[in-house]
Amino acid sequence: MQVRVTADAFDPQAEIAAFAAGRDDAGALVSFVGICRAKSGDVAVEELRIDHYPGFSEKEIARLAEESARRFDCPDLLVVHRVGVIHPGEAIVLVAALSTHRANAFKAVETLMDTLKTDAPLWKKESGPQGARWIEPRAEDRARRAKAEEGLR
Amino acid sequence: MIHLVFLGKFGDVAPAGLAKIALPAGVHTLGDLQHWLGQREPLLGQAMSATRTRLIVNQCVAHDLSQPVADGDEIAFLPPMSGG
Repeated sequence: MQVRVTADAFDPQAEIAAFAAGRDDAGALVSFVGICRAKSGDVAVEELRIDHYPGFSEKEIARLAEESARRFDCPDLLVVHRVGVIHPGEAIVLVAALSTHRANAFKAVETLMDTLKTDAPLWKKESGPQGARWIEPRAEDRARRAKAEEGLR
Repeated sequence: MIHLVFLGKFGDVAPAGLAKIALPAGVHTLGDLQHWLGQREPLLGQAMSATRTRLIVNQCVAHDLSQPVADGDEIAFLPPMSGG
């Protein structure tokens, strides 16, 4: 399990390559990369700022990752999450799972992203020409989280 | 001294001088502290009462506003999270 919260830009491909290097025990590697959009609905976004609570945010993200890894029997999971100021086109989050077979790796990544979208202690503020606003999870995110929760029980 | 951390939108309205303060007279619990903050900083008080606020004490989630506050504690005020 590798969880990293970083204020520095990262290269998802390099992270995935390092994570998977030498892992011939796994037959499947699935990854997801969330990217900062230049538009949020109809509103232009020039910059996204993500606040975190050092120590607590990392601990909570690691707990969510462990739940997903345990549930889907993944020998290893990787989470890299940006904080601080992020610009459109830059990677915000990378989640990758190694598993014996593809089905569990797909499910582990999807479930972890669904739980991260609502439960990760992170605060996002989008800024653009029309001002700045703090973001809260959308109804769709909450619905996906509820579905993921059913499976975690 | 106690250490206060204001995340997200609370950080926009909390003065920097609140990061490290002497435990105020009469503040014994988290509820007392929240009330004291609301009296001293009305904008912060309004922001906290307008939304669901979670409190974290020394990196552990607080479930009860009657939880005591002691010298040296770090208390974080969390607005609803945006998620990852």
